[in-house]
Amino acid sequence: MQDETNKEALAERLELIENMIAQGRRSTTRWAWTCVLWGVAFYVAIAWSTGLFGGPIWGRHYMAWPITMTVTWLVNWALARRMRRSAKAPMTTVSRAIISIWVAMGISMFALLFPLGMSGRASQQVALAVVSTMLATANAASGILLKWPAQFACAVVWWLAAAASLFGSDAQSMIAFMVAIFLCQIVFGIYAMILESREQRRHGAANA
Amino acid sequence: MPELPELNPVIHGKLRLALLSLLMGVEAAEFTWLREKTGATDGNLGAQLMKLEEAGYVSVEKNFVMRKPQTLYRITDAGRAALAQYVAALKELLGSAI
Repeated sequence: MQDETNKEALAERLELIENMIAQGRRSTTRWAWTCVLWGVAFYVAIAWSTGLFGGPIWGRHYMAWPITMTVTWLVNWALARRMRRSAKAPMTTVSRAIISIWVAMGISMFALLFPLGMSGRASQQVALAVVSTMLATANAASGILLKWPAQFACAVVWWLAAAASLFGSDAQSMIAFMVAIFLCQIVFGIYAMILESREQRRHGAANA
Repeated sequence: MPELPELNPVIHGKLRLALLSLLMGVEAAEFTWLREKTGATDGNLGAQLMKLEEAGYVSVEKNFVMRKPQTLYRITDAGRAALAQYVAALKELLGSAI
């Protein structure tokens, strides 16, 4: 009887270790909103650059992408910093890996697309293919790290959009890009936000 | 008859074991986050963390972020090794059933 009780206590200790390690690794930082934010930013930049907006500032189409992307990056950085501080969530190895993938991808995109846009040495199709491929790479890497098929599926959509933009006309490549934004930024972002809320509610209830 | 392994008494306490396990999964954690995860009181948590620090299993870093004090705890290499040994000993005690 005494032996059984001891064994139970020891098994409880082992379970405690497993639970606590899992809790520590579970990130409580909300990030899905960034997906939607960038999706909306892409749409704003496309609308601005194609002359959908009127007025003296909006008339400068060449400024659409640099300004929209810079402002979105600043908003993203400020909101992420604020949320991270208020959540007091610690950094895990996986979250650091994912952040580094997206930051590196973002810097590469800025470093390549600004000079490319200014020099005018790339067609719209090539530029969209480059952007789509970069987004596909980052989504694929994150999907593999998180073991999340939905995010890997987004990578596949971006790869398809990249290939489609190289074979289609200007209009067709833009349509492929906009469809990919809708599926991989807006729909996937909202889906991830729903999952985050569910997870937060589940663990909030478990901790209470 | 083979000798059974002894469990490290510093880690064996439930709260200390929970703290060390939590710290295994993160780079560093704030006092408030550890309190939220364990549900321990400030006094008890501080005392147990101090015991782990004295044993060399966690390191402490005190900073000021936006003029507010912040205490960060990290598991040390000795802490990781101690927890790994503890788990091995536990498994041995429980037998091959686990």
